[in-house]
Parts: sequence; structure tokens; C-alpha cells
Amino acid sequence: MLFYAVNRLALAIAIVVVVIAVLFCMVYVIPGDPVRIALGPLATPEMVASFRAKMGLDQPLLVQFTRFFASVLKGDLGTDILSNRGVATSVFEQMPYTLTLIVSSMLWAVAIGIPLGCYAAIHRGSLFDRIIGVLSVAVIAIPSFVIAVYALLIFAVHLGWFPAIGAGRPGAPFNQLHHLVLPSLAVGLGWVGYLARVVRASMLEVMGENYIRTARAFGLPRRTIVYRYALPIAVLPTITLLGVGIGHMLSGAVFAEIVFARPGVGKLVYDAINARNYPLVSGTVLITTAFYVLATLIADLFVAGLDPRVRANLR
Amino acid sequence: MSKQSGLTRRQTLAIGAAGFAALVSPRIVFAQNATILRARSYGDIQVLDPAYRKAAPEDDIMRSIFNGLVRRKSADSWEWELDAAESIEQIDGKTIAFKLKPGIKFSGDFGEMTAEDVKFSYERIADPAKESPYKDDWAVLDRVEVKDTLSGVIHLKEPFAPLWTSTLPTGSGLIVSKKAVEAAGGKFETSVPAWSGRYMIKEWSPKQRTVLVRNPDWQGDKSDFDEIHILPIEDEKTAELGFEAGDIDFTWVSVSSIPRYLKEPPKGGKFVRKPSLAYVWLGMNVESEPFKNPSVRRAVQHAIDAAAVVDAAYFGAAEPSTGIVAPGLVGHRDKVLYPYDPDKAKALLKEAGVESGFSCTLDILNKAERASAAQAIQAQLAEVGITVTIQQHDSGTFWSIGDEKAGEKWKTIQLLLNRFSMQPDPSWATAWFTPDQIGVWNWERWNSAEFGELHKQGLVELEPDKRDEIYKRMQDLMEESGAYVFLTHEAVGVAYRDNVTPGLQPNGTPNFVDFKKA
Repeated sequence: MLFYAVNRLALAIAIVVVVIAVLFCMVYVIPGDPVRIALGPLATPEMVASFRAKMGLDQPLLVQFTRFFASVLKGDLGTDILSNRGVATSVFEQMPYTLTLIVSSMLWAVAIGIPLGCYAAIHRGSLFDRIIGVLSVAVIAIPSFVIAVYALLIFAVHLGWFPAIGAGRPGAPFNQLHHLVLPSLAVGLGWVGYLARVVRASMLEVMGENYIRTARAFGLPRRTIVYRYALPIAVLPTITLLGVGIGHMLSGAVFAEIVFARPGVGKLVYDAINARNYPLVSGTVLITTAFYVLATLIADLFVAGLDPRVRANLR
Repeated sequence: MSKQSGLTRRQTLAIGAAGFAALVSPRIVFAQNATILRARSYGDIQVLDPAYRKAAPEDDIMRSIFNGLVRRKSADSWEWELDAAESIEQIDGKTIAFKLKPGIKFSGDFGEMTAEDVKFSYERIADPAKESPYKDDWAVLDRVEVKDTLSGVIHLKEPFAPLWTSTLPTGSGLIVSKKAVEAAGGKFETSVPAWSGRYMIKEWSPKQRTVLVRNPDWQGDKSDFDEIHILPIEDEKTAELGFEAGDIDFTWVSVSSIPRYLKEPPKGGKFVRKPSLAYVWLGMNVESEPFKNPSVRRAVQHAIDAAAVVDAAYFGAAEPSTGIVAPGLVGHRDKVLYPYDPDKAKALLKEAGVESGFSCTLDILNKAERASAAQAIQAQLAEVGITVTIQQHDSGTFWSIGDEKAGEKWKTIQLLLNRFSMQPDPSWATAWFTPDQIGVWNWERWNSAEFGELHKQGLVELEPDKRDEIYKRMQDLMEESGAYVFLTHEAVGVAYRDNVTPGLQPNGTPNFVDFKKA
């Protein structure tokens, strides 16, 4: 198990390095001059040259890349070329908003998707099972930004139940929670359907196992069989799925943050790419990639810890 | 019944409903608080130092927390009024005497605003060593002479007409505390070392909001709102929905929404359309084939029906333009020289030897109205045999395509659809088309020495009638070159809550300090 954990950690670090290297090159090959954007139309050629030298943008790409990684190893993610603030400061200011959005979206998915999937499996072939099947596919198929726009129009503009924009007043948790409902629904709704499908399939598989048949033969109540013996095994695949899902939810968060005018890392990196704010793009992607890799690593280790079959395969 | 909680199903539902109501209710209470103005801004703040400001959202806030000698009036015409100055007078073309109002205090221990602060504020922008992007606003500044604590004289090297329109009433005319800025190291970003205006910054949550509260030390007329919450919302459509949902009290709307709101104002609000200073044009690179040929350029001018293009792009919200200087400003022209005439266009193409037509590219920014205008242009040019391929770019790419120092793309530009915004002085419109701007912002690469000279003359000419002639002639030159088809000045749509009376400059720019409770 320890070897497995160390192995996965080394792989995670390698993934982060590769992602950053690829992104670094991609950002630099797209057209657009960050210095011109940062200084505006009134900047003189001398000011442009001076700023370019100050930011190290006059150096070859390889030098810039090496410098960036050397700084990262020292814990310095660089300086935002537009606001002159530390990149780490900007990213960690926005990170809580995105994390809150992702976690609350997952809560929607877990709280609704798992019970629905479980119920559909137990009542396999019933009308309810069929309705859930259709609805699950429907919400998976609808892009999260479409859900976001319709949720906003219906629940914020028409009904006025929830706010349309922003993340709520700082220091007012109920107000912030109120602002979180629609964006998290938009990001998490697709995952409700996805989890429902996965849990249903997993439950059906588990319910066909020998030990479940044995439990039935011993006359255990159905509720005990389902909730005590079948469900804990059936939900294991969803843990890995949620680990991977964080990456998808980060993408969904970009749309939700734009549509609902919420602060967050997605909006931050979107604006930074448009402004060719290279240090901010690199720093943000480094942190989000590390976060994503860490989440999948934790999910894998969690499943390995919980499932003796996975542990057995590791030996 | 649930044994664990001891609650009946009905009680559980009641608690759930109460929780839901609790979530909804804080918003209603907040919205009813009439002393808070919630205004949308199109971007977040990055720099609040007047010498290094980056964009209009910062100007809007700086006008609330700092003072200039004069400020722009909230009115329908471009006028200024006294702000920190008790009096200000242009003695001659190169000399302006001023006297500050006594008792204007900077926050902290930085004391009363003095003429020394005025000198520091203006000379630091003019000083090339300080590398202020706005140094051209004070390029003709010789020095500010301090007469006594409150009085001084601004000495210019030569007369400067935009002083009263686009220098003194703008961010470049704002006064900062010399002691405070020096203590902060000579410049600052978002941590303002001292303010003097009607409001001060209470809180800045990046990408979320900036909260202004009344400055208790402000001795002048008080503004109506206790707090102003400025929310950075880039997307105009999101802002419109936020307004309709009751989350904001003031916003600019997208140009495409103007006709809809003119017919029916947004729920709970009022709507007004304002003229814009921006100018949109179709440009032709005079160094690229086949636009090297003046007849081809003239043919394109005659092939474009600007009214139809503007209708297609702005749905009737904007009017066609006659130049780059907007109505209401010195130098505005009444008509174009080469109007829509497709037959003449065909004849000119024949004369140029390309009667069978040709293919070319049109570079545009990826905005909806720009794409619609480009498609209309594409259709109109197809009528005379010109096949246009539209190339859309994101903002980071588009704003560097004509820059010689940003790559090779400038060499391949043929047609381009562009839009610049400006201050209310015609020199701001003409500055980008001079010979020294070729390869910088003059992407058509049109080279007219006469235009460059007239631009210099326009800056120093103080007589309005003569300036009017100069700028009209300059636009004539642009059009005669064939490199430009003037399309529109666009329009600005402003939505505001019906319990608010906004303080707006002629183009809809908000003066937050002038907003009133209706």
C-alpha cells in the first residue's frame, strides 16, 4: 500500500510538470502581446521595452520556462503583470469560491444521484426506473452553461427566489449560501444524472453477487441487505468517479462563474488568457492541476483503503 | 414519524420551508436598503493611482475618492464645474491660475490639500522618468508654480486645447497627496494611501466588489447614498439579467438590447439611450494588394451602405456616422464624401482592372455586433464581386494584429473592422492615424504628412471655429485617402432602478457621487 501511494504521488508530480510545460508552450505560441495589453495604447516604445525586460519577457522561451520552474520550487508563482500583485495571492483569494462551488455541486450530485440510482436499481424495470433513466440521460446531455442560463432566468429573474449574480456578502454565510444555490445546481445537475446511472449499474451488479443471495436466503430484511451490504460496495466506483469529476466540474465552474458573475479561479484564468497575463495563467493552472491530481490521488487511495479487492491487487 | 429526530414529517417539511424562506429573505431586506447603490462596472480595479490607471472602471472609482481642480458635470453636454478649485482661470494660452478650496482633507495624517499636492500630482504624470502612460496629457506642462498654500499657476510650454476637455476633468487632473504617495514609495496600486473625495474605499474583494462609503471628512455637498457597491461584471447580458433580477441598480446594457429596452424598460427600472463617443470604421491597408490601388479603395467606399451595416449590427439602436468625431464635439462633420453607390463601385473596379472581382480577408474582434457588421459588409462587397473571408480574433490577439512589434500579422491585413473609444476632444480621435502611428495603432498604414501637421495644429489652436475647420479637414483627408469607411458611433444604453436618479456624463459614464435617490 505504501509503495502504491509513493508510486501514485510520483506520477502525480510528473503529471503536474508535463501539464505546466505543455501549457507554458501553448500560451506563448498564441498571438498577442501581454506588454501592449498591460500598458495600454498610450505606452511609448521605450516603456514597452522597459516593461518587457522587467518581466523577463525579452528572454528566450526556454529561459523563461526554467526561471518559472525555479521560482515555483522556491514557492514564488510570480507577479500579475496587470495588477502587480502576487499570483499566489490572486489565486488563493479566488480558490475558496471555486472550491465551495465544486463541493456544493458534488453535494447536489451525491445527495440526489446516489439515492436515485439506488432506488432505480431496487425497483428495476418499474416506471420510476424508466423515468429516472430518461431524466438522467437528459441532464447529462444538457451542457451546464445551458442549465445555468435557464436556472438564472427561471429562479432569479422570473420567480426572484435566488440572486442572479455574485457570491454574496463577505462575512454573511447565509447570504453566500443563497448565492451558491443556482450556480452549484448548474454545475452539479449533470452529475446527478451521471451518478444515478453509475450507482444503478453498480447496485445491479452487486445485488447479483453470491453473498447478497446468501443474505436473502438467510431471510435478512431487504432494507438491511440494500443499505448495509450492497450500497457500501456499490458506491465505491463513485468515489473514483468524483475524483475524476473534479476536473470536469472545474470546467463547468468557468461557465457558472461567467454566467453568474461569481468570483473564482475559472473566471480568473479566463480573464488572464484574454489579457495574455502569462504569469497568472501559469500560476493558476499549476495550482488547479495540482488540486485536480491531488483529488484523484486521494480518491484512489481512499478506494484502495476501503476495498480489500483493490488492496489485494496491489500486493 | 422519525424516531431519530422526534419530528413528524409535517414538522420536518415546515422546518425545510422555513430554511428556504430564510435563504430568500436576506436578499429582499438588502434590496430595500435605499442608502446602498449597487452599480455594475465592466471590469475590476487594478490600479487606483491616477498616473497609472488602466481602464474606465478605475476612473469611475477615482472620481469618487479623489478630487480634481475641476470635474465633468453630470449633464447632456460636455461641460466642467469646479471641484477642489475655488477658482480657476486661463490667464493666457499658456498660463492657468487656480486657488484651492480651503479645508479639503486627505485621509490619515496627510493634512489639507495644498497647491504643492497639485504640483506633485501633475508633474509626476508629465515626468518621462516616471513612465506614466498618460504623460501625453501633460506633455506640454512646463511646471506648476506654487504661489502659497492654496494658490498656484500651471505654466504650459505651448497652448493645449484638450486641457479643459480631456486632461483637467479626467483622471490625469486628479490630485493625490504628495506626502502620502511619497510615503507609499512614489506610486500605488489598489491600496490607496490617502483619499480626499466624497467617498472612501471600505472594502475591495477582488473580482467580486468594491465598496465605497461616505468620507466623513468631506466638507462639501453630501452625496445621497451611504454606500456604493461596485460589482465587476464583464458580460453585459449577465448584467442585464442581474438588473432584471433586482441584484443591481445601475448598469450599461448591450447594444443589441437597446431596442428591446426602448420598447419596454426592464422590470423595476428605467432606461435611457445615450450617444457614444466611440467610432467604428472599416479600414483598408493601403500597402496590401489590391488595396494599394486608390480606385479599389474608393470602390469599397461606394460599395458599403453604412446605414444597412449599422442596422444589421445594432438593430436600429445606433446611427451611421460621418467621421470619427461624434456629434456634439468640435470638428463633427455633417456628411460623408463618398456615399453608397454600387454602380460607381463597379465602375471603379473596372477602372482598376479587377472587374471580375477578387478575394480578401476582413479581420474583426469576436464580438457579436462586430460579427454581424462584418457579415453585412461581406454581403455588400459580394454584390460588387469582392469575396470576403471574415477572420475573428479574441481580444488578446486582435489588439496586436497591426502592431509591427508583435509579429508579422500586420503585413497580411487587408480589410479590418475596428472600434476605438475616446475622450470628448477631437484630438483623441485623430491621434491614432498620424504617420508616427503607422504600425502602432495606424493599422491602415495610411501616411499623410498634412494630417500629421493638422493634428499638431489642432492641439495648440484654442479658437473653437478654427479647431472645427482643422478636424473637419482631417476627416476629409481620411476619407479622400479611400482607406476608411465610417460606420457608426454606436450608442450606450443605461438601465437604472426607478428609485434612483443617475448622475451621467453625456455618453452615459456614471458620476457615482451625483447619483440621487428618486
